[in-house]
Amino acid sequence: MPSFFRNKRLITILVSLILLVALIGFSMRDRDQLTLPEEFVLDVVGGLQTVFHTPINFVTNTIDNIQDLRHTYEENALLRERINEFKGLKEEVQLLEQENKELKSILDKEESIDEYDLIQASVIARSPEPRWFEQLTINKGSNQGIKPNMAVITGQGLIGKVETTSATTSKVKLLSGFDRSNVIHAMIVGEGKNASNQFGLIEAPDEEQNEYLLLKRIPYEAEIKKDQKVVSSGMGGVFPKGLPIGTVKDVIVDEYGLTQTAYIKPAADLYDINHVAVVDREIHSPVLNEEEATDEEKKEEDAE
Amino acid sequence: MKRVYLPLLLIVIVVLEGTAMDFLPKEWLTSSFYFIPHWVLVVLVYVAIFYDYDSTYYCVLYGIIFGLLVDIVYTDMLGVYMFTYGLVLYSIHGLKRILHSNWLVTTLLTVVAVVCADVIVYVLYSIIRETDITWYTYVYKMLLPTLVANVVFALLLLPLLPRKLNDWAESHLEKSTSV
Repeated sequence: MPSFFRNKRLITILVSLILLVALIGFSMRDRDQLTLPEEFVLDVVGGLQTVFHTPINFVTNTIDNIQDLRHTYEENALLRERINEFKGLKEEVQLLEQENKELKSILDKEESIDEYDLIQASVIARSPEPRWFEQLTINKGSNQGIKPNMAVITGQGLIGKVETTSATTSKVKLLSGFDRSNVIHAMIVGEGKNASNQFGLIEAPDEEQNEYLLLKRIPYEAEIKKDQKVVSSGMGGVFPKGLPIGTVKDVIVDEYGLTQTAYIKPAADLYDINHVAVVDREIHSPVLNEEEATDEEKKEEDAE
Repeated sequence: MKRVYLPLLLIVIVVLEGTAMDFLPKEWLTSSFYFIPHWVLVVLVYVAIFYDYDSTYYCVLYGIIFGLLVDIVYTDMLGVYMFTYGLVLYSIHGLKRILHSNWLVTTLLTVVAVVCADVIVYVLYSIIRETDITWYTYVYKMLLPTLVANVVFALLLLPLLPRKLNDWAESHLEKSTSV
């Protein structure tokens, strides 16, 4: 009898190992859509997360607010100064916007890659596995028109992109969790006279200094200075143009001496996130709209 | 009725894991230390000690179910937490038979469980995805902070949870064995 039990244990361990490898293999494929059970679980847990997150958020926010109160006076003085600056700036922007619209109407150019709609959402959970998955869950999903690969921003700037969606929740991959399969085409905005914009790709953050993003493959000749602004270029086909990403902190020549790599300090705070907006760009996007088209085709085929 | 309390408690713990980051001060998050909440595992170690008899394996069953739930909700990789929690809880269930259950042994088993689980998860993920992190960095920046955070959580549960679990176990398991 004992040998039988030992065998049973061995078989259980072998079967569970096979199951583990099979499940990992299954989830490592490039999956655009989650399976039905996964979506169901995500929706149910998402509902619970909303219920629990609201009071917890209230408490932590209250604590933060009390801490903020102590610096209110100095901040107030500083902000008053800034408001005066902004007044002048706002008039200037309005004039420029008007001029821009008129010029566009002359050109008959209606759509552009810097226009987009926003879908507002709240964060309901953050993945407790920050070493491998820099991931947030938000309370809007495919029912509200969110699709995988859309950009996600806060008031300060880009924070990441939608990875997967279920009916009422979506998972957002943060910029700090990007790897080789998720890159953003970004633009370093030129400053001063006869300055030109430079382009590069935002890739995985540095292992050592993980508070900075890496902007790779900038041409070797490009002259880049500290504190230049980095925005999305809109050339990747999914994100609109001009979403702020961060500022240049440092530039180095890459390991082969052919291109340059810039360290970027993200504009948005990637740790203290409560409210986000998902960006749906207005102009045709080859990635987002193509999927839609194939879905419709499939439906038509099914109907036939 | 009392038999559904434990699964309900575990679901709540899984949901709370997603808000764990809100409890930590922001300065800690931006530092390069990682605190990974293994709260489900900690509660299931208590289940193994105070709920299960030698012949029942509820802790392993719940470990597999809620490990899979963690996989689906918080990661993209299915199976890693499910396998790890199942394996670790099976070992804890075996260890508990040898040791007498008091608070010192409970804490010791929690430490063993958290260390084993975190190392297994780390090894599995580093096989799946390439990484340059050395073992030294892993132990000092990830394993030790994680261990401390989870042991603190386990000690917080110590005054209340064992008694409750005993209570639930009596009404649940004894009834089922008598039938």
